[in-house]
Amino acid sequence: MEPSGSLIWLVVRKEVIANIRNFKIPVALVIMTLLLLLSAHTLAIDYRNRLNNWSINQNSQHDPIVGGRISYDLPDGSFSHGVIFGNRPSIQPPQPFSALVKGMDGEVDRTVSVSQRIVFGAKHGESAASALFDTPDTSFVVKLLVSLFALMFSLDIVTREKESGTLKAMLAQPIRRLELILSKSLGASISLLAPFSVAYFVEIIYLHVAHGLLNGWSDIARAMLIFGLASLYGVVFVHLGLFISTITPRTRIAVTTALGAWAMLVLILPNASVLMARLLTPNPSYNQLSARLREARRQILQEEAEANPAAQTARPSRQSLPRIYEIERRETDNYLASKRDQDRRARLFSALSPAGALTFGLSDFAGTGVDAYNSYLELFRSGRDVMIDALKRSLDLPPQAGDKLAYEARKTIANWQRRAEPLGASLRSSIISVASLLAWAVFFGLAACWRFERYDVR
Amino acid sequence: MFRTILHRQLKETGASFTLRSALVALTILVPLSAYIQARYYQRVVEDYAIRQSFHQIENSSQSFVLIRPIPPLASFFNGAYDDLPDEFRLLNDSATTNTPSGDLTPLDRLFPKIDLSFIIGVLMTLLTILMAHDTIAGDKEQGTLKLILASPIRRRTVLAAKVTGVILPTTVILIYIVFLYTIVVIVFSEKTVDLSGANLGALTVFTLVAIIVLIVIAALGVAVSASAERSSVSLFACASIWIVIILIWPPLGSYLASSSKPVSPPEAFQRDMASKEKELIQAELDEHRKNVADMKAQQVGVEAAWQRYLELRRRWMKVRNEEIGRLVMERKKQVRDQQAFARRISLLSPYAAFKEVLASLCGTGTESYDEFLAAVERYRQQEFIPKGLDLRSRQKPWTSVGNPDDRLQLPPLQTPSPTLSERLAAAAWPLSILIAEMVILMMFGFFSFERYDARV
Repeated sequence: MEPSGSLIWLVVRKEVIANIRNFKIPVALVIMTLLLLLSAHTLAIDYRNRLNNWSINQNSQHDPIVGGRISYDLPDGSFSHGVIFGNRPSIQPPQPFSALVKGMDGEVDRTVSVSQRIVFGAKHGESAASALFDTPDTSFVVKLLVSLFALMFSLDIVTREKESGTLKAMLAQPIRRLELILSKSLGASISLLAPFSVAYFVEIIYLHVAHGLLNGWSDIARAMLIFGLASLYGVVFVHLGLFISTITPRTRIAVTTALGAWAMLVLILPNASVLMARLLTPNPSYNQLSARLREARRQILQEEAEANPAAQTARPSRQSLPRIYEIERRETDNYLASKRDQDRRARLFSALSPAGALTFGLSDFAGTGVDAYNSYLELFRSGRDVMIDALKRSLDLPPQAGDKLAYEARKTIANWQRRAEPLGASLRSSIISVASLLAWAVFFGLAACWRFERYDVR
Repeated sequence: MFRTILHRQLKETGASFTLRSALVALTILVPLSAYIQARYYQRVVEDYAIRQSFHQIENSSQSFVLIRPIPPLASFFNGAYDDLPDEFRLLNDSATTNTPSGDLTPLDRLFPKIDLSFIIGVLMTLLTILMAHDTIAGDKEQGTLKLILASPIRRRTVLAAKVTGVILPTTVILIYIVFLYTIVVIVFSEKTVDLSGANLGALTVFTLVAIIVLIVIAALGVAVSASAERSSVSLFACASIWIVIILIWPPLGSYLASSSKPVSPPEAFQRDMASKEKELIQAELDEHRKNVADMKAQQVGVEAAWQRYLELRRRWMKVRNEEIGRLVMERKKQVRDQQAFARRISLLSPYAAFKEVLASLCGTGTESYDEFLAAVERYRQQEFIPKGLDLRSRQKPWTSVGNPDDRLQLPPLQTPSPTLSERLAAAAWPLSILIAEMVILMMFGFFSFERYDARV
């Protein structure tokens, strides 16, 4: 018996050459390169604009604060005119990898002022027009195109040979069915990943050369990880295509079935699983949070008024300020924790679909995902804690020294900037997504093997 | 004969696996997303009430908060509503309106909530094109087309029957989806979604526009099918065209516009405005200083000084309104140019045109937001600033009678609520593009079918 190893390579080579001859690989190469370059170009410009926006905000922090108080002291009475005009709260810098995978990074473009309370500014109304559609970043292009091209390469592998009758001839060869289907899958994967890797690395080189992004080893590692996950995603769909090919009698039926399955897995399931996560983790809105804070403040004022009816003021006394700070700390932490839970659960649920796992996994690798966003929130929380400590301590000091302390604390946390997530943390946070994609790849692969083994030639 | 072909077409469609599995998937997905939207809308309404109650206590002549009314059809088409600030704080000493705070919605960045526009614009169009790709190419491949054409029947009748055979079932499914969605929204939003009068009319127009979109896609599929020789070629072409026009083209518009028609970053504009305002504040302070010195020299009484002070304030607020207003107008013009450019790019896609029409119909687009902003600005200049100063002029801050009553009673904000015909008129441009696309594709399909040579 002939060694089957050479036969496997023969089949792989035949598949790849056939795909080059029928223009599938060239078409995939051209389309993926064009779209990835277009996406890289637009998102790189978007990143540059955001960076520019951030640096202007950063510079404006040093603008002079204008204000003053003028007393109208007149013989029979006096009043005064006071005004103060400060600067806008600061915003955090965007991540360079958002040019590749924007993820949740768009959410950090808002101003955030940190004091005993964290106030997240409103979103910019001007950029709302882009909110109507998905962000056309690399993650989006991969999600749609790599999956479709994967199906295109693998879908007719078995049906085509069934239709032309060559399958029977193939099966008559001294090659095990398992080896045959494996070599077919290998051929389709190579046909897909060869043009994709060219397109992807052209994009990376473009981003590096034309926009000066992605420098240093850790960036290269991230870019490679993104490539790896995207390739794994491609393999999932190659196996899906193979599976559909083994269960359908004709190519035409296989194609419609595959498109339906694609819509289900790429368009419906990820969104539906995130919807479920939202449903299962209800969280208070920002307005509900501020309503609670106001209510707590009002209650404390009321208690004070009851205890001491003489001193009627709209401001709580110094004694109850620590209590108010603590309530604010607790309520805000609850609010942020519920957001965090929702994000985490959404990431877990999204592992149910390959496209959802891909979206979260890529954003984790790019440092624009759930964990990076959580550390962004954590930055404000610790800033807020520093402020509360300073404010509490300043209550025991004479007014001027107290003000100075609070001012110093405010100045310290104003310079805090979030650091990019370390690579190790990104790797850890992407475990679920990678595991999910691996499981999907194995599942569809085994299903295809199983069906193919049972295929009755007669 | 028309009927026979239509009948056959419908039978084939009804038996197809695609249609059945799509129906199952939609029956699960539509109520789920409608439920989420209904609950979300209910929460927005509750939030509105919460905010209104605490702002009513806190509104004064110093600061006054206006909240954007919730678009009643937001749960059918979210549009840009979530991404726009919906609360504005008017300050008696600022010519700019502040947007105080916003909720955190990081998940929306990765997975936007599914609304009816997504279900129709993405999923239903995919279904339609899958049904349409095979209508003529399939018959060509099987050879049945030659038989049909050999019978005494005009080609345009055949084509009309084929197109109808695609449009009829999709329209039925569409109406089923809209119905299901609406029912779920009504049931689970606990009567917060108001579906009466103009809103019901808008929802009907919504459905009609959706039908036009599906006809465009069906015409596209039939046109491709009529020019393709083989069914698989037709399917490949249809699927690629669908991906490009529905998924890839629309989001590129705004990103391409930002590179070819750049505007300065929002923070730069905020900084310009702030520096202008600071300059004016400084000038006003200088004048107050001079004023104080003059009055001291002239021995003016406090009552007269207060009135002169308020007069000065009125004049300066007017100057600031004009100067800042000019900056705002300039900026708005730039942004509007950019958005118009983005729209021109995106509108080529029927999905983007569909969303544009919906934005006008449901009041969740950037245009109705601009109208709201203009209303806020008018309110600030005509109600808040003058009436706040009037209230101040009645106060006597030099007497020490505790805190004067600073509660400001103002009429509610009048926001434009356009009638259905006005909403439609605003959507005339995208709507006419949709109709033009429909006609062109129909003509294209018709001509390529007329010229089809049965002998080949």
